[in-house]
Amino acid sequence: MNYLKTIINGIFKENPTFVLLLGMCPTLATTTSAINGMGMGVATMFVLICSNAFISLLKDLIPDGIRIPCYIVVIASFVTILQMVMQAYVPDLYNTLGIFIPLIVVNCIILGRAEAFAAKNNVLASICDGIGIGIGFTLALTLVGFIRELLGNGAVFGHRILPESMDMLVFVLAPGAFITLGLLIAIFNSFKNRKA
Amino acid sequence: MALVMTVIAIVAGGLLAWVNNVTSGPIEQINKQVIENGIKSVILSDSDMKFRVEKPYEKDGFIFHSVYDMNDNLLGTAVESTDKNAFGGDLKVMVGFNPKGEILGYEVLEHSETPGLGALAGEWFRQESSEMKQQSAVATILLGAPVKPGNRNIIGMNPGDGYLTVSNDGGQIDAITASTITSRAFLNAVNSAYKALSDHIGIETESDTGVEADSDNDTENGDGVGAADVGDGGFNAGAGSTGAESISNTSPRN
Repeated sequence: MNYLKTIINGIFKENPTFVLLLGMCPTLATTTSAINGMGMGVATMFVLICSNAFISLLKDLIPDGIRIPCYIVVIASFVTILQMVMQAYVPDLYNTLGIFIPLIVVNCIILGRAEAFAAKNNVLASICDGIGIGIGFTLALTLVGFIRELLGNGAVFGHRILPESMDMLVFVLAPGAFITLGLLIAIFNSFKNRKA
Repeated sequence: MALVMTVIAIVAGGLLAWVNNVTSGPIEQINKQVIENGIKSVILSDSDMKFRVEKPYEKDGFIFHSVYDMNDNLLGTAVESTDKNAFGGDLKVMVGFNPKGEILGYEVLEHSETPGLGALAGEWFRQESSEMKQQSAVATILLGAPVKPGNRNIIGMNPGDGYLTVSNDGGQIDAITASTITSRAFLNAVNSAYKALSDHIGIETESDTGVEADSDNDTENGDGVGAADVGDGGFNAGAGSTGAESISNTSPRN
């Protein structure tokens, strides 16, 4: 089915983190633990699906010359909604992700998909693209967070499984983010090339 | 063109107003909870002692919560203080001072600092945890030189003896690794909380306090017995008689 293909496409062939290399800033910064990475991924996915849907709906009404400001207004609205809802119902996650929630507005994945996909396709396909890219982003962030948390803090989703003496805290710090991400991109691409 | 933009902006604005309306209640509730837990944590270190909090007093952007035990002895004052020059904007802290002005505890209430760096402020300026020790060990490896043992615990310090400043500025407190701006803002907020407290509420100086020895121990004893005697701590004011004899030795001041 075509829509299913769009979703799968977002997860593998056009994975935003490992293939498109978009949204690197939140990828590196918020993946100190698996749960943080997942939270950031889901938050971004919510905004992505909503903004894709609305931009696809509005694409014929918005004159070409002012499309970017219009997209930004739509995206910023959903990010603000998300921010308020998270603050009200999941304050812990909201506090951990801090500044990166409002910064979803300028996350290039969102504007990138609005331009590249939602502005050219119908609503349903755009929603599917949002779901696919969102899942791809969430999986990638969770994986990076999982590895960093396991190697850095010896824990899986907050539960310690390795003794403290085996911790390599560099993986929780910034350099570990680059090392983990670099190796994962290499592995992902080697699999992708073998298949092709 | 202008029409489309206007319509989109109006619809977006309306939607935001509605969501704000729905979520402002729960957000306020959570913030209130955070304040109540904060007071308990910065003054009583989360012990189960029974206490009451005076109605908050607000002045010049500082909010004071005076905490008394059940015999109306002042245990300390929690001060909410904001510094506007942190790395990500405002940094709001609550600092608990005992009547002499010594820091009993602190909590970071609101911040926009970088996760993993400045956001560590909530844990950094306390007794060193094992996690923190390891982190500084890693820093030692990365920087190639041994880092001198950290001195960053502000609990028990008295800003009246000299304002707290980070070691980069010639002070006595080590800044958070790679987050000097956050650390400066944090200590600034603590110092201004102290200053506001001494200006508006007053702080006992050494000369006008009576016997000070062992006041810490006494408080601890009081905690234990008080908990056993009166059950759950809470914000229920005016139940003064229950724990009277058990915690009568809590504070030298009446």
